[in-house]
Amino acid sequence: MDKKLRLRINEISKSYKLKKKDYHKVIDSLSLDIFDNEFLVILGPGHCGKTVLLNIIAGLETPDVGFVELDGVKIDGPNPDMGMVFQKTGVFPWLTVMENVELGPRFKGEAKSERRERAQKYINLVGLQGFESHRPPQLSGGMKQRVGIARAYTNNPEILIMDEPFGALDAQTRYSMEEEISNIWSIEKRTVIFVTNNIEEALALGDRIVLLTECPARVKEIYEVNMPRPRDLMSEEFLLLRQKISENTDLSIDSEV
Amino acid sequence: MNNKNILIKQILYLVLPVISVLLLIVLWFFASSVNRVLVPTPGDVIDRFVKTFTNPINNQYIWGHIWASLRRVLIALFFSCSIGIPFGILIGWNKTAEATVGSLFELIRPIPPIAWLPLIVMLLGIGEIPKILIVFIGTFTPIVLNTATSIKLVDPLYLDVGKMFNANSMKLLFNIALPASMPAIFAGFRTATSGGLMVVMAAEMIGAQEGLGFIIQRGMDAFDVPLIMVGMVVIGLVGVFLAVVTNYLEKLVCHG
Repeated sequence: MDKKLRLRINEISKSYKLKKKDYHKVIDSLSLDIFDNEFLVILGPGHCGKTVLLNIIAGLETPDVGFVELDGVKIDGPNPDMGMVFQKTGVFPWLTVMENVELGPRFKGEAKSERRERAQKYINLVGLQGFESHRPPQLSGGMKQRVGIARAYTNNPEILIMDEPFGALDAQTRYSMEEEISNIWSIEKRTVIFVTNNIEEALALGDRIVLLTECPARVKEIYEVNMPRPRDLMSEEFLLLRQKISENTDLSIDSEV
Repeated sequence: MNNKNILIKQILYLVLPVISVLLLIVLWFFASSVNRVLVPTPGDVIDRFVKTFTNPINNQYIWGHIWASLRRVLIALFFSCSIGIPFGILIGWNKTAEATVGSLFELIRPIPPIAWLPLIVMLLGIGEIPKILIVFIGTFTPIVLNTATSIKLVDPLYLDVGKMFNANSMKLLFNIALPASMPAIFAGFRTATSGGLMVVMAAEMIGAQEGLGFIIQRGMDAFDVPLIMVGMVVIGLVGVFLAVVTNYLEKLVCHG
């Protein structure tokens, strides 16, 4: 496979001040290369560093040391080439589904008919047709997250960052959302950075799985997953790899789900 | 069994409010039977109310007095919204504004609006403008406070969503922070409305020629207790009317 480097995360560290002179290090000189059009899963335990790492990649936060480069250019703020699906969805309750989804192009000043057409395409793709004029308080958790996914895609990002998007969903919905996101990714190739604390989810989705250490977060190991999609969650290969990753972690995972 | 219990509960919740109101009326009649001059019966109050439509008080029928109070509150609300909401947005959004004008506001805010009354009457007299001004002081504070607080505390996640879409700070404010704050701004408006009615009563008890506060004051001067009660009930109804209108407006603006 011909791999083209998109994102380069170089030796970044980040600490937060707790009290006077008491610092909590969440990321410790973490380096990682992310290639074009790959589905990269970042797998990490509990509550350490993952969201911060994504926020740094997205340009919403800055690292204390180190840097992130997109196509060789240092990131120093939110970048229109990146889209983000947030863990807590962040859909706006005062807007309809359609108005939420078309938000990115609307902020850019794109013509209404144009952006509506594209928004409609992604609303259909995530299976929300018929709900365009509903408002988020009327939607279930899974549907809200679909709105979040459609919203991110409609802005045409080249790199899509997903922060435990299915963490708050029930198991059933979670499985079907995983399948759908894998489908959408096959139809609409993008570079996806997907964070989860669930090994099964990581294996169902990722081309590569980056296993992080516990606090502070560092890269512990990177696994290549070369199974065809859609993946059989019961195949021998799947289960073997699952066991291998599981043995390499003392994941207290799923604790927050 | 279970269904039956639910049914009994539903009936109970339907009947209990009626019983409470009936009990209050019984209590009222009882108090009237002890001293009808100080506590007139509900019938006396209704009679007095009907009379306000035919016998003017200070050349005004009841509608004139209702409108006088309502007009003062509405004008005051208009000004406190059109000044208070932008002011609240400013001190909620801008750290410098918060530190300067915001801290001045914090200094003056704890003074109850009615405490301003004597000073304003001495400075501006007992005309229409000082009355509206005093209601304005009472309605301004909750509107500014609610607007500023909710703008300041808007969910950072919403702002992050905007930043990911490269929204500039004007878009973050007007397309995200402001709509996110609308329910809280309406809550402030509601508080302002009831506060405004409270203050207008006090303002009208000093040297007014019309208004529901004036009616209550007149009832006290003339030892006309039924008239006092008419004033009390009617101002209550005006409050209910304003609350209904506010709810309707909120549904219209915030889409339920």
